Amino acid sequence: MDESENSMDKQIDDNDGTKPEKMFTLKKWNAVAMWSWDVECDICAICRVQVMDACLRCQAENKRDVMGRQDCVVVWGECNHSFHHCCMSLWVKQNNRCPLCQQEWSIQRMGK
Amino acid sequence: MSTPARRRLMRDFKRLQEDPPTGVSGAPTDNNIMIWNAVIFGPHDTPFEDGTFKLTIEFTEEYPNKPPTVRFVSKVFHPNVYADGGICLDILQNRWSPTYDVSAILTSIQSLLSDPNPNSPANSTAAQLYKENRREYEKRVKACVEQSFID
Ligand SMILES: [Zn+2]
Ligand SMILES: [Zn+2]
Ligand SMILES: [Zn+2]
Repeated sequence: MDESENSMDKQIDDNDGTKPEKMFTLKKWNAVAMWSWDVECDICAICRVQVMDACLRCQAENKRDVMGRQDCVVVWGECNHSFHHCCMSLWVKQNNRCPLCQQEWSIQRMGK
Repeated sequence: MSTPARRRLMRDFKRLQEDPPTGVSGAPTDNNIMIWNAVIFGPHDTPFEDGTFKLTIEFTEEYPNKPPTVRFVSKVFHPNVYADGGICLDILQNRWSPTYDVSAILTSIQSLLSDPNPNSPANSTAAQLYKENRREYEKRVKACVEQSFID
């Protein structure tokens, strides 16, 4: 279900035709399947908390936004691995690679 | 008090207890979660078999963005272990990833015991014997296995 979400985003981004893009997306699906355990559980592999919950750092500092919610977003890389933005921004300062697949890290999208 | 590094180490400990890898064990020291004691049992079908090798792991507040310092307390005769117990292992240095936890660290060290890398030696005698005189290497390793019972 995560995968189809990603491919929909892709299609909206590039309105011109889906044929070459589709092949590219399929290749990526293979990579996701290899790590399916991580993806299904949606655990941030850095702090080991579910990506939908606040990261360990935000939990420790008990950061909240004006609505009283914890304000800690998820970041997806081009490799489709997801982490807390807080966790990843500390790591990329040292090494700009995805800690799971070692590909160069570039952000695909951010959000909840 | 409860910093992100400490919270992460609590999770590492929980995972180690709930899903213990075979042949390794570890726990934080009583008064400091940043310092752990661990034991690696020598892997089967290697000259390290039956040994119980003790280690200390020291974490900083930068964990898991920075690797901990891992050191054998027991004497280990191995091409990639320094005389002071320090370990030459890429994942504890330049190939560190913040996705590793204590369980991954200990199992990696355990597999280093089975598969030494004699090309980046920390103990040149051990590396040379490993390559050129396997019998003598195994003899020296077995001597530390016996020593590890007494320690
Ligand atoms: Zn995280
Ligand atoms: Zn956060
Ligand atoms: Zn990745």
